[in-house]
Amino acid sequence: MPRMYRLFAAIAFALAGQANAQTVIFSASFEPPPGGPATDQDAMRFLTQATFGPTMSEFDRLNLIGIDAWLDEQFALPFSRHRPYLEAIAALPEDPEDPEANNVGQQTRNEAFFEHALHAPDQLRQRVAYALSQILVVSDQGGGLGGEPYALAHYYDLLGEHGFGNYRELLEQVTLSPVMGSYLSMLGNRKPDPVNNIRPDENYAREIMQLFSIGLVRLNPNGTEMDDPGQPGFQTLPTYDQETIRGFAHVFTGYTFSGCGVREFEYCSAWEHPERWVQPMAAPEGLWWGDTEYRVWHAYPENKQLLVYPGVSLPNGVLAGRPAPTVAGTGVSAQQDLEAALDNVFNHPNVGPFIGKQLIQRLVTSNPSPAYVGRVAAAFNNNGQGVRGDMRAVVRAILTDPEARGAPSGTTAPRGKLREPLLRMTQLWRAFGAVDASGRYNDWYVWWPGQYIPQSPLHARTVFNFYLPDFKPAGEVAAGGWVAPEFQIQTDGYVTNFSNVLDWMTWNYQGNPSQWADPDMTRLVIETERGLASNNATIDAFIERLNLLMMAGAMSPHMKSTLRTYLLTLPANGENGYRRVWEALWLIMVSPEYVIEK
Amino acid sequence: MNRRDLLKKSLCLAASTAGFGALSSRFSLAHAATMYSKSQRSLLGNDYRALVCVFLYGGNDSFNFIVPRDVSAHATYAATRGAVAVPRSELVPLTPTASGAAYGLHPGVETGAGTPPHPAMTALAGLFNQANSRVAIVANTGPLLHPTTKTQYQNESVALPPQLFSHDDQSAWWQTPTANSFDRIGWGGLLADRFGITNPNQNLAMTISTDGDNVFQTAEDVVPYFVSPWGVDRIGNIDPTWSEPTARRNALYQLLNGPLNNALERTYATGFKRTVSNYEQVITALQPSATTFDAIFGADDTIDDYLTRQLKMVARLISARDTLNMTRQIFFVGFGGFDTHDAQLANHPGLLAAIANGLTKFYQATQQMGIANQVTTFTASEFGRTLTNNGDGTDHGWGGHHLVIGGAVNGGRFYGRFPSLAASNSNPDDAGWGQIIPTTSVDQYAWTLARWYGLQDDADGRGLVFPNVTRFTDVSQNGTGSYHLGFLPAAT
Repeated sequence: MPRMYRLFAAIAFALAGQANAQTVIFSASFEPPPGGPATDQDAMRFLTQATFGPTMSEFDRLNLIGIDAWLDEQFALPFSRHRPYLEAIAALPEDPEDPEANNVGQQTRNEAFFEHALHAPDQLRQRVAYALSQILVVSDQGGGLGGEPYALAHYYDLLGEHGFGNYRELLEQVTLSPVMGSYLSMLGNRKPDPVNNIRPDENYAREIMQLFSIGLVRLNPNGTEMDDPGQPGFQTLPTYDQETIRGFAHVFTGYTFSGCGVREFEYCSAWEHPERWVQPMAAPEGLWWGDTEYRVWHAYPENKQLLVYPGVSLPNGVLAGRPAPTVAGTGVSAQQDLEAALDNVFNHPNVGPFIGKQLIQRLVTSNPSPAYVGRVAAAFNNNGQGVRGDMRAVVRAILTDPEARGAPSGTTAPRGKLREPLLRMTQLWRAFGAVDASGRYNDWYVWWPGQYIPQSPLHARTVFNFYLPDFKPAGEVAAGGWVAPEFQIQTDGYVTNFSNVLDWMTWNYQGNPSQWADPDMTRLVIETERGLASNNATIDAFIERLNLLMMAGAMSPHMKSTLRTYLLTLPANGENGYRRVWEALWLIMVSPEYVIEK
Repeated sequence: MNRRDLLKKSLCLAASTAGFGALSSRFSLAHAATMYSKSQRSLLGNDYRALVCVFLYGGNDSFNFIVPRDVSAHATYAATRGAVAVPRSELVPLTPTASGAAYGLHPGVETGAGTPPHPAMTALAGLFNQANSRVAIVANTGPLLHPTTKTQYQNESVALPPQLFSHDDQSAWWQTPTANSFDRIGWGGLLADRFGITNPNQNLAMTISTDGDNVFQTAEDVVPYFVSPWGVDRIGNIDPTWSEPTARRNALYQLLNGPLNNALERTYATGFKRTVSNYEQVITALQPSATTFDAIFGADDTIDDYLTRQLKMVARLISARDTLNMTRQIFFVGFGGFDTHDAQLANHPGLLAAIANGLTKFYQATQQMGIANQVTTFTASEFGRTLTNNGDGTDHGWGGHHLVIGGAVNGGRFYGRFPSLAASNSNPDDAGWGQIIPTTSVDQYAWTLARWYGLQDDADGRGLVFPNVTRFTDVSQNGTGSYHLGFLPAAT
């Protein structure tokens, strides 16, 4: 459904064309809300951080109700799930002209992603789910998940549904997900068998600590690495050792797909039982063959060394072993060990800064000041009502922090982050109400990003996501000791190919007079922009409009004048007046000032 | 130009085929900045050398590619393979120099129809059979963590590669230095990381792929250069070869050249400009070879087979090696369609013919360039397939046969040990359901290739790149008795 730009806003932009970029356009009408946004520029910045890209209508709404109320509204909205989208596609009849068009595969998840990014009302939830999918990583590239699009869509929905709940619950949902179980091999993990030299798989044990909660080294509350006081110089302190991994590995035993009995544990699969992919794993126990032996697959009797940290509730971090049950109905279960272990992880002081900093990196900036991280970690530790792990509090803290809403202080780090390619795409399509004749965002590069787009949801090559949180591009960023994760996918091939993708995306607009324009591609709606751009008298207003909508007003005088000079060399009515629009859009979208979101 | 691209992957340990989750010796809890630091040594050898990996995605049924021709051996094979067996009379004979059972190649055409063999397959057999043969066949190779017997497999008493029979994971173990590499870094990438300093041109990666992203070339630091087999891509909107983009290009470079007040902006701009200069460098270097190989491969617009198209591009890139100032290059070519669960009799022959066609023509191209001795091409595939069939196709197997072609190859013979092709319950090599346990590990195969490429046979060379290869000794008939397989000499 095309976005209808408010005439009011359009006129206001046109009139504001020559105004100073800091002018608040609406200040004549009312005072900015106490929680912000303080300026139009910050309203656009906020929407860039909190949604998949600003739109004029969202901009109006935000200015009207303010950030605090906007957040309240967003926190109250339920998550628009992605799996129903796949099911809806599956229900479509086969298209005789294009038999594969309505097949459901991993490509359908990409369609669902764009559909929701562009149109779901719960923008913040969708954005946070996407951020969480880059921390609590599963991928169709491993664990045998390549053929399971519904299962992966369900996992994504778990992140969306629990992303605004409590992190402890989110961790449990992820731990018990058969998708995660397949990806990191907790599914089917069994207690030790010394006769056959089998010991519990350590994969999930390692990653739940290294990636999903606490990281490798002890952190201060502000996210900086703790220095070992007992060692000369700066020496980090590891958060866990091999013994801890073994301890957790023993906890994460006995689980498999739901619906299997104890005798089927070793062979349990979702073959012909697709519903098993969308239910939490279970730990079957019971009578073995011959009705003589009560079998369990969970490692009960061993003492399990878990995490040790100040305030840990388990004595010395050890989860005591217990005798395995020998009959049913004792009330003793693997779940109890699992819960105790998750509590042990969740209460580690690292979680707030470790997870908090990564969420800041996904939403706001690559190099938050330690003070910023500290404030967000504090919100994780206590949401103000004594609750630890409240994700709403964390997200609110991230987005309302002065460092998100204004220039950072107490740091010399470069401001901002490199916009993820997927977010540049969603921003373009949201800003210009992109429509697809089929009603579906099923352009070939959405379906098969391949060599053209270095990301797609739940498609990372490894559990370490598309990029590492501490990636340092060579040169002055690395030399300054700063990080810029998204640069890790800025490789020659992707820079070249993605620049060409942006060319197709900006050139495919409604009303394109060229015979080469493909009506089946997703098309931008750029009527308002065409009106401004095709008239030399309003060329500055045109540039200002794109400046505000795409760059939250951050365009430098040099960039404005470069664009202006170039655009004025192009015929005003080129391509029926649309030419200057896509030319400006493409140049902006590959320019350094745009690509680095500040 | 070198940038980090890819990351460590956690070990995806087997669930149902449990066994050890053997930890790679390189694993460390510490978050090492660079596990594979740059070597101070260059690779051995004073000449240009290139490795070309031809990865057959899907799992090639190589038990139907190289087939026993001895009457009773073929009878055993045919009895086990049933409907998908290749008739003995249709095999293209191989006459190896070393003694051993007779084998033949699949004819590369649909069998049972009286069709003569595909000329490419005849050519491939000819290349194998000629004096001074340049084709080696390496039998029944696959990912292993230890030499594994059937008993050990069934008792789970040795560690096994994780997620056996899974495409993604077995593909990875075919491309990584060990069959359970924690970091999904390939041995090609690893060589580029450590020895990229060997190349005079430090602006172009040692690793180039015509099939995009792949595990083999994934490195910690060096980002492979991806080239489309249809030609090096430019950013269309700033194409300097015609006039329309000129003003736009100038405008973009004004934006890239700043003033930029943010270090991230400057880093982006530097990288963008470097990307453009890199592809312009390669495009320029490729211009002289636009039609050089048309006589061998056909003109570009006549090639519809993806493998041939890629190998032609690789040939062109190799022909530009002096302009590009490269002395060591690793190429990756990917070719899919081998997951023949269904309709194998209809689909597989054409794929095999394509392999034969591509490999023989590429070899010819290297001869034309006068560097046949300096280029070695080898096949790889995530697994062979089940000896038994499912009606009209085969399922995921484990070990499979592979080819190595090049002027330096000690060809005309078989390496390793062919497995039994008997029915499962009387087959000592069968893990179950016709999935054959490899008798040669990928480690051995890869080390033999890398050793020719210039990797040193010491702790810092072989020991670092292929830490598990010392678990395997070639004890096959006519074997080397060493860790390598002997189908290539070491670089000196």
